[in-house]
Amino acid sequence: MTLSLIKMDRPRSYPPRQTEFTQHFWGVLNEGRFETTRCDDCGRPSFPPKPFCPHCWSRNVAWIELSGRGKLYAQTVVHAAPSVFRDEAPYRVGIVDLEEGVRIATRIVSEETPELDHPVEIVVLNYTDGPLFAARPVGDRRKP
Amino acid sequence: MKGVTILGAAALPVGKWQTPANAERHVLEHETLAKLVIDAVEDAGVDKNDISSLVFSLPRPYTQQKYFATFMANYLRLPCSGSVAEIMGNGMTAGLAFETAANDIRLGRSRVALALGINFETATSAAEHMMSSMRATGDVDFHVPFGFTPISWYAMDAARYIHEFQSSRKQLASVAIKNRHHASLNPIAQFRKPITLEEILAQSPIVDPLGLYEVPPRSDGAVCLVLAEEDVSRASKRPYVRVRGRGFFHEGAHQISEVPNDMIALVSAAKAGHEAFVEAGIAASNVDFAELYAPCTIVEVLVSEALGLVPRGHGARLAEEGQTALGGRIPICTSGGLQSRGHPAYVTPFYSFVEVMDQLRGRAGQRQVSNAQIAVTSAELGNYNAALVHVLEAVR
Repeated sequence: MTLSLIKMDRPRSYPPRQTEFTQHFWGVLNEGRFETTRCDDCGRPSFPPKPFCPHCWSRNVAWIELSGRGKLYAQTVVHAAPSVFRDEAPYRVGIVDLEEGVRIATRIVSEETPELDHPVEIVVLNYTDGPLFAARPVGDRRKP
Repeated sequence: MKGVTILGAAALPVGKWQTPANAERHVLEHETLAKLVIDAVEDAGVDKNDISSLVFSLPRPYTQQKYFATFMANYLRLPCSGSVAEIMGNGMTAGLAFETAANDIRLGRSRVALALGINFETATSAAEHMMSSMRATGDVDFHVPFGFTPISWYAMDAARYIHEFQSSRKQLASVAIKNRHHASLNPIAQFRKPITLEEILAQSPIVDPLGLYEVPPRSDGAVCLVLAEEDVSRASKRPYVRVRGRGFFHEGAHQISEVPNDMIALVSAAKAGHEAFVEAGIAASNVDFAELYAPCTIVEVLVSEALGLVPRGHGARLAEEGQTALGGRIPICTSGGLQSRGHPAYVTPFYSFVEVMDQLRGRAGQRQVSNAQIAVTSAELGNYNAALVHVLEAVR
């Protein structure tokens, strides 16, 4: 499934570091796919993606694609921001439970206060220096 | 194992003490803390030569003197056969320092141990300080790039609590009013002028739905506690506090894990509290007052529920009704709590023990809980991903 891409006219304020392992995650995200790792032995997914299973410590993990669909578990707006984020503030962040049973924390793209437990979808924010993921309420096509 | 008691305490009034780097005259950490050591040892009535452990909370990185513990062993000229160490564990730092000192007594390595520390940070702005603290409360590559701040996690707890239990920001704000009233009676509290609901709601927003008075301030502070084997305290003929129960739990998550759970159940506080109550042989209903590590209004509500001091989902309403205020059914944060007593984070759990020492020795003045015998304290890190709970008892 290809995620919606939102073009951002600025670099990321705090770019994530990539490793030999996690570069796959960021690479496919840049193409609109949201992936993580799942254990071939116990079957459980992990997030962030890891080269081992945190649940059973097996080394047999494989990349899987996530649907990008989920529900908003919690959210807030950060007004008092660390200095590197000051020119973005206020901005909205939240916790999303994906339908595969994976909980993530991310930026929320929504001008209105979103309802908790309502559907959200993962989108890709294409900054000038690379991607970040975010979530937005389903049906909300406005730009951040 | 030897029984652990607290026999003496001294604390710096919480506030802004740190001087900027270019100050002509400085207020320095080692001088400030050394005065408290002398005061606390005098309060305990022990001899300097009885002390054989010095367990410090780690100072903030802004403290210029490095290897602070070993520097202080020299500054105080105190050879030790137990421990000389600096302990770090985010918000739980001072709780773990207390535990390390207590373990030296439990193991018979020291008869008297000092748990002490100083947190000076206010000469650095909040926006700059958060550049460091945001990396302590999230995954640097998978949370921090979105702009989460330490208290943004508590704000999400508030959103969830309001959603699940039909509570409101106003109801949660009653915790801040109550804590300011308690602080108005506490000479070492940072903010002592009573506040109204209208004033709270009029403050600038910090992390929705919480404003300036519903989150902790920036604070400097310092504390020295004198821990002793019970034989020493008994022989002192002074009132003291006995550590009657202790519980710890880390849920194996850093803010959140990918496994969806009930985030506002604070499972670590519930498990650590249960363990502490079992060891103490008491129930939550036996507690006379609680001094909780609760940076924001919502956190006090959640941890009071997780410890079983109030029923699940009712904590905010009971706070609004005054049941957690002085004179209420279960007074919580009689010091003024983190919002009003102040929050010098690496020593905040020490201040909980200071309040317990005041209350259980009958020295709390106008904020004295009548007939206080049993107290509970908590310390935490992250979004209560780990909790350390103590049950303490008055011995007079």
